[in-house]
Amino acid sequence: MTKEHFLEVQGLKKYFDAGRPGLFSRDVRYVHAVDGVDLQLRHSEVIALVGESGCGKSTLALLLMGLEDPTAGIVSFEGRDITHLNDNERKDLRRKIQMVFQDPYESLNPTQTIEEIINEPLVVHGIGNNKNERDERVKKALEDAGLKPAEIYLNRYPHELSGGQRQRVVIAAALVLEPEILLADEPVSMLDVSIRAEIINLLAELRITRQIAVIFITHDLGSVGFFADRVAVMYLGRIVEIGTMLEVLEKPQHPYTKALISVIPVPNPRLRRERIILQGETPNPIDMPQGCRFHPRCPVVMATCKVSDPPFVALSKTHQAACLLLVK
Amino acid sequence: METQIAKTAAATPRFQEFWRVFRSNYMGLVGLIMLIIVIFVAIFAPVLSPYDPSSTLNVTTADIYNPPSAAHWLGTDDAGQDVLTNFIFGARVSLTIGFFAAFISLIIGGVFGIIAGFYGGRTEELLMRFTDIMLVIPDLPLMMVVIALTKPSIFNIILVIGLLYWTTTARMVRSQTLAVKSRKFVLRARAIGSGKGHIIRRHILPLVLPILVVQAVLVVSSAVLAESTLSFLGLGDPTALSWGQMLNYAFGRGAMSTGAWWALVVPGFGIVWVVLGLTLLGQGLEQILNPRLDTHHLMPGRPIVTSEAAKVIEKVSGKRPLLEVQNLSINYVNNGKPPARAVENISFTLKEGELIGLVGESGCGKTTLMLALLRLLPSAGQIVNGQVFFNGRDLTALSEEELNTVRWKEVSIVFQGAMNALNPVRTVGDQIAEAIIKHIPGFPRDKRLQERVIELLELVGIAADHKDHFPHQYSGGMRQRAMIAMALACNPQVIIADEPTTALDVMIQAQILELLDSLRKKLGLAIIFVTHDLGVVAEMCDRVLVMYGGVTAEYADVDTIYNEARHPYTQELLKAFPDLTKPKKKLSSIPGYPPRLDALPAGCRFAPRCPLAVDRCHKEQPLLHKLGAAHFASCHLLEASK
Repeated sequence: MTKEHFLEVQGLKKYFDAGRPGLFSRDVRYVHAVDGVDLQLRHSEVIALVGESGCGKSTLALLLMGLEDPTAGIVSFEGRDITHLNDNERKDLRRKIQMVFQDPYESLNPTQTIEEIINEPLVVHGIGNNKNERDERVKKALEDAGLKPAEIYLNRYPHELSGGQRQRVVIAAALVLEPEILLADEPVSMLDVSIRAEIINLLAELRITRQIAVIFITHDLGSVGFFADRVAVMYLGRIVEIGTMLEVLEKPQHPYTKALISVIPVPNPRLRRERIILQGETPNPIDMPQGCRFHPRCPVVMATCKVSDPPFVALSKTHQAACLLLVK
Repeated sequence: METQIAKTAAATPRFQEFWRVFRSNYMGLVGLIMLIIVIFVAIFAPVLSPYDPSSTLNVTTADIYNPPSAAHWLGTDDAGQDVLTNFIFGARVSLTIGFFAAFISLIIGGVFGIIAGFYGGRTEELLMRFTDIMLVIPDLPLMMVVIALTKPSIFNIILVIGLLYWTTTARMVRSQTLAVKSRKFVLRARAIGSGKGHIIRRHILPLVLPILVVQAVLVVSSAVLAESTLSFLGLGDPTALSWGQMLNYAFGRGAMSTGAWWALVVPGFGIVWVVLGLTLLGQGLEQILNPRLDTHHLMPGRPIVTSEAAKVIEKVSGKRPLLEVQNLSINYVNNGKPPARAVENISFTLKEGELIGLVGESGCGKTTLMLALLRLLPSAGQIVNGQVFFNGRDLTALSEEELNTVRWKEVSIVFQGAMNALNPVRTVGDQIAEAIIKHIPGFPRDKRLQERVIELLELVGIAADHKDHFPHQYSGGMRQRAMIAMALACNPQVIIADEPTTALDVMIQAQILELLDSLRKKLGLAIIFVTHDLGVVAEMCDRVLVMYGGVTAEYADVDTIYNEARHPYTQELLKAFPDLTKPKKKLSSIPGYPPRLDALPAGCRFAPRCPLAVDRCHKEQPLLHKLGAAHFASCHLLEASK
């Protein structure tokens, strides 16, 4: 196992059947949710996956988790293709890759106590020889997720906790399996700003204390700067720019990345900047625009953008962007 | 909402909690008592009944259809037997059949419903089509045929009713299963690696069970009715005297012609009693257990104002003040417990064309405060102090009718998550037109109405050709724009925007902010922008009110708040904000959580989380100190610098 081939995604695609446009129409239309994504994740690396809703970032997460089957492409983990696994192999893999969901109000079963919720993965995977051993792991997971002392939380129900505490419970339930990769799908977007920082700091700590690699999915570029190693910006099913965190935040090359960075709220009225507000929203991924998929909203669109699909241009060893303006 | 926090505060076990709620549900309670009485009668039948039901030895013709007397309280029947005794023992037969038949039908319906809902696809197709077929077959004729073909024994009757009465259960359980299955915690269970059996057992079943309980009660009552019908038609078990059987014998053997009403009324009463009791219990249970019926009423209660006069804390200069809130305090009454002090002593002023940001964490009382401005609080919420002046009129003292001339017409609200409240089966244009007519009843309903709708849509940046589209054809950002258009329908002077961008992407958030800012400039609107995100308001606010735990933490103009904040909470909140210009730095966070409004700390409400807290902070609530011409903060540490 080389360091580079920890988790590797090649040409991953997921099309959903969108039905026929008319009753008598022959051709079935597809939602191009994920449309050719390549990505490599290294050991204990944090990648931020940024994009607006509808860009396919959540579908990509479900594909990586094996909760959806890809239309095409390969996901390999430690050199092994994990897109076509039987139930048992899939279950074993779940111990290695875990997920934290967006909405902590929805992702906990309201009828289970916190202890039951965190103990559940251990029961499912038959981990721990006796109750004592499992109890210890449950407590450790809770405390690692910042709910200390664990005892006061064990017998509570989710509705008795605040949003931030619930998200910690979700993280604890993922940690209890001691995964190597954590997929966090918008883990802070439903939380108050003051709580967001805590959850982000918690994820950043976990990567140091437990060497967990994190794929952090968010629509807010502002929250990634603090612990991501690399940032990948997605638009309409594809990655349009990828680079190290500083490269993307300080020298963004794709017009979409530039716009996303410009609208991040700055908490200081003296620093009001010129914002690039893109009009409209991500077009629906059924009828893909011809040429560059960003051209209908692009502020610096050229004639050729409507015709040719831009290739990835390498800007440095680590920095790539797909824009015709960068093609020399 | 703050009320929910108060409601869920007590950590009681589930059953106790359920019983506490159930006790106050009179319908369910009456039904339960009715049912317990019948079950008691059935169990203790041999003790309660005055005669032995099997003794028919010494019957003479003189004993037939005797009216109620001291010896036979409810008279005698066609066989000269005591009606009361038969009635009491009949309860045993009717209830046994009812409960066992219901048990069978619930098992079948439950299994079908869960399997169909959970597995979907072909399995579901097959099971649900079969259910549909069973549903259209008329029950009664089929039951009659089946019973007539087999021996009419109690066992057969139970089986037939059980095998025919499961269809509604199956359909209800299926739809509930579908609803539960789509929830995120089921997806999370799959991500953990749980198998299907485990998910059904641990995640689906516990949430389907409440519906099954309600359904059980209703199915028992249908089964009792079905048995009575069958017996009345002569298809009952002749060896077991159920209430239906009693009716059958009395009816068939001349009770009507001899005027022996007691032989008919008594078993009839039993059937009605059980069915009514079960129905009431079912209704009561459903109100408590079915989450879809859990409504949150907005009741415009009359405010209780205790204090006479309140002092103005702010000298208003320049533009005319439009809305002046003075020392407003709001409590939530909480049965038996001390009231939750959701909002305490809040004052602020909104001038024409001004944008004020109201910032605070969830549960800090900001939504309560906004609802109180127009007296739209839930019934538990009461204004206990303070005034709200709008154009010089005190809104807390107006009557409902007078207030209706202000609500929406002068001050309108864009509610949090309101974009999801559009009616999905009507076009957006229609719904805006309805909002106009509802608030301006005299508005001409011709071309001018349509023109007004288009004008409003264009005002919020939606092209006119989207007027006849349905909400699902709109994106989240467009729906939010449509909600703003509705709020503008009557040309209000003030718009209260309650977390209008919270669920939206950053880019759409920027678009909505830009829109609000342009409306303010174009229409001279004054806006109260409620948010938990300090970053959002920095871009466009004139002044900011930072709330914490229901009180004002700090109130100042936007530049002061962001550059010279004095309250530790404001300072910490600003530090917790990711600053793009300094990446790689560890984010500072505020440890702990905001206080519960029903368990407020004795001193400063921020003290438990405050990095600078001293002894006094934990004992004494700080006053609001004036730090500048229009800069206020409530912190003991600022006392010296006043």
